[in-house]
Amino acid sequence: MTDTSVAPLTGNSSSPAARMRTLGWLARRVGGGIFVLWMVATVIFFALRLIPGDPIDAILGGPGSQASAEAVEQIRSDYGLDQPLIVQYFLAMGKLAVADFGTSYALKVPVAPYVLTQLWSTLVLTIASLVAAWAFALGLTLATSGRGRAARSIGSGLELLAAAVPHFWLASLLIILLSNTLHWLPPISVPGPLGLVLPVLTLALPLTGFLGQVMRESLANAYEQPFVLSARARGESEWGVRLRHVLRHAALPGISLSGWAFGSLLSGAVVVETIFARPGLGRTLLSAVTIRDIPVVTAVALLSALTFILMTIATDAIDRIVDPRVTKVGEQ
Amino acid sequence: MSAPRTVLFPLAFAASAALLAGCTAAPEPALEPVSGGTLVYATGDAEPGCLDPHVGGNYPQALISTQYIESLVSKNSDGEIIPWLATEWTESDDGLTWDFTLRDDVNFTDGTPFDAEAVKVNVEHLKDPATASSTGYLAVGKIDGIDAVEPDHVRFTLSAPDSALLESFSQPWVGIQSPTALEREQAVNCESPVGTGPFVISDWVKQQSITLERNENYNSAPDDAQHTGPALLDSLEWRFIPDAATRYAALQSGDVDVIDNAQPNNISSATSDSGIEELNAPRPGASNRIELNSGKAPFDDIRVREAFIRAADVTPGIESLFFGTAERSFSVLSSVEPAGVSSPDAFTTDADAAKTLLDDAGWDTIDSDGYRTKDGERLSLVFPVSTNQSIPAEQSLFEQIQASAKDVGFEVTLQPTDLSSWYGALFTNEYNLVSAPYTKVGADVLRILYHSDSIIPAPSGYYANLAQLSDPALDQILTEASQTSNEAERQSLYAEAQSIIVDGFYVLPLYDQQNHYLYSTSVEGFRALPTVSAPTFYDAWLNK
Repeated sequence: MTDTSVAPLTGNSSSPAARMRTLGWLARRVGGGIFVLWMVATVIFFALRLIPGDPIDAILGGPGSQASAEAVEQIRSDYGLDQPLIVQYFLAMGKLAVADFGTSYALKVPVAPYVLTQLWSTLVLTIASLVAAWAFALGLTLATSGRGRAARSIGSGLELLAAAVPHFWLASLLIILLSNTLHWLPPISVPGPLGLVLPVLTLALPLTGFLGQVMRESLANAYEQPFVLSARARGESEWGVRLRHVLRHAALPGISLSGWAFGSLLSGAVVVETIFARPGLGRTLLSAVTIRDIPVVTAVALLSALTFILMTIATDAIDRIVDPRVTKVGEQ
Repeated sequence: MSAPRTVLFPLAFAASAALLAGCTAAPEPALEPVSGGTLVYATGDAEPGCLDPHVGGNYPQALISTQYIESLVSKNSDGEIIPWLATEWTESDDGLTWDFTLRDDVNFTDGTPFDAEAVKVNVEHLKDPATASSTGYLAVGKIDGIDAVEPDHVRFTLSAPDSALLESFSQPWVGIQSPTALEREQAVNCESPVGTGPFVISDWVKQQSITLERNENYNSAPDDAQHTGPALLDSLEWRFIPDAATRYAALQSGDVDVIDNAQPNNISSATSDSGIEELNAPRPGASNRIELNSGKAPFDDIRVREAFIRAADVTPGIESLFFGTAERSFSVLSSVEPAGVSSPDAFTTDADAAKTLLDDAGWDTIDSDGYRTKDGERLSLVFPVSTNQSIPAEQSLFEQIQASAKDVGFEVTLQPTDLSSWYGALFTNEYNLVSAPYTKVGADVLRILYHSDSIIPAPSGYYANLAQLSDPALDQILTEASQTSNEAERQSLYAEAQSIIVDGFYVLPLYDQQNHYLYSTSVEGFRALPTVSAPTFYDAWLNK
């Protein structure tokens, strides 16, 4: 992902010095990312041991287990839980460093392949939601900006409403409206695109509100710029002005926001996957936290952090392409 | 389909339809069962980590394993033990030797024959620490020796007489699996355990569903089933839908056929929906009840315990919050337990009596917030609530109890937490009140919950006697009851035990452990197995 976004950047750079700066930027981003991952792993490790509940319970079939002393002892040594905490920490970090995520306490299967299958489902959901939110936000702002006061107020009002709606409430509303009343869509996630519609709408609508609000403001600013006046003077049509000149400016804050937005979609996925009974990282995390399945929690947290970091690097890279001023400022 | 079956079906299903419809419905015309189709079941219980119910052993595992694993004995709707994989059994006079005669014509779905050796391997599997069994391990705890005398004859030698042995064997957690399959690695057996049941696991998509196909060679239905031979459905799809509102919406939209863990508001609105029916199948064992921790102050004083029970106004809360779907219980035991004794008079509400009792106990001063104090200390009660186990209606009920207890001067602090933190609070004795469900077949559950031995924590920290009731007289009665096989004597001992528990004000019963299924009217022949009230789809068919 990073490679393809870097290529046009270096191509744009005019000098070896600029290329070095770009590589330096990339190195800082990657180094920072690794540091963040390590911190996430550390925080998760200690947080899960500070909260009440013994990981032994997860292995022995849930809390309230009445397993024998022999069983408990065997499990403790099998999983290295009889070691001092600090030893367990370094052992765990050592394994994570070589991407060994261990075996799930509850599912008894290797964590990495299991979590990766769940990641796919969540990526489909979140990326589809991000694309949908972008499409809705662009459509709404372009259609209502630069128009009369009434159109702007309606557009802005809709965005505020959408941004304020909590996921669980929106999900219930959509189920009642589109499934139980109109019978258009299944209330649970079924295989195929039809099952994706309600979960994506639930995640995309609040985000549409956020993106729309931000874009509307910069769009309004862009309309005041001299280049818009000169474009109009050249005889550019109203939609031509919007699409060819103003959009690029309006999209910038939206792009910067997309990294954060992706993170919020990942956390929104916990609610949406649970409500629509959709497989994915969010639901995996929820059930794993409940039963203290430490290897699964760690893997999901790291994978989410990694996805988030990659997404942020990607949006920054896109930002540099769409807005050359970003790199210029860096050069001064 | 053989000739006798075609004759039997309409009669049997008319009978079951009449039973399910209860007393309100007019007799329906007998329906001819149709074979085929896929039934979609949506569960709100957690997705099991392991489909082998020997490993760990919780209710979600019992729900699904009932479809593919069978037990030595079952229970009918009258609460009597009936033959299943075992046809007969005898107990020696000293109660230390049990002989079981087994069916000799049953095979596991991997082709391995079911025999005495298989039973032996299963009990040994439960006892093996590497299996990490919890529930099943307890159930076979008194079994010392297992002897496969003949292929159809197994003998158990016990360390002490166990009048609950048959009840224990009826539980899904002690179900019998193929010894060939058990030889595989645990992770493999967890994915695809092999039993003798009417369905076979064919696919498990994690976080989504488990697909089960019909066992075409099935011949081991329990006596109370409505037909013989293979199941009627081609397959079962077992979906995991954790959200209660979504589950109900999916039933309404026809995407699923049966749901469990139906919430009171949905059950109530389903009664006005002509396409949906309800099956109320309370779980056996203990009722849902609030335990009063007598192991520490202030509930180490019987007067304070009685005052709390007199103060807690439970019934109006149940009526309003559960929309008439749950009936107030006045028994420590589930209403499906024949040994249960209901004592409504012991649980009357009387705020004035409560105040007098507190005055007598020395809690006679009232602070500026309206709570009672003694020697400058406030009458405070900590009540950890597991949000995984207590449904929203139950949590609201606890809030109402909190309010009515405040009226006489108790400060009740509700602490909603997740399951692990909740157990954490119990294990460190940081609670005065707690509601902990316990499912087990038979009144022997009283021994597990209220014998003083159950205050000693298991290696995991768990202990079942959360009232911390320690009474040598009660211990003796419960031990005696667990060792006598005379049914009448056993019942009277359990009645005596219940009166000690109730009269000591250790427990505030609320209602049966709720277990409501909602299902589409196109589903026929669906019932809950009377053992632990798990659903069985052996007789079920789709009238679509």
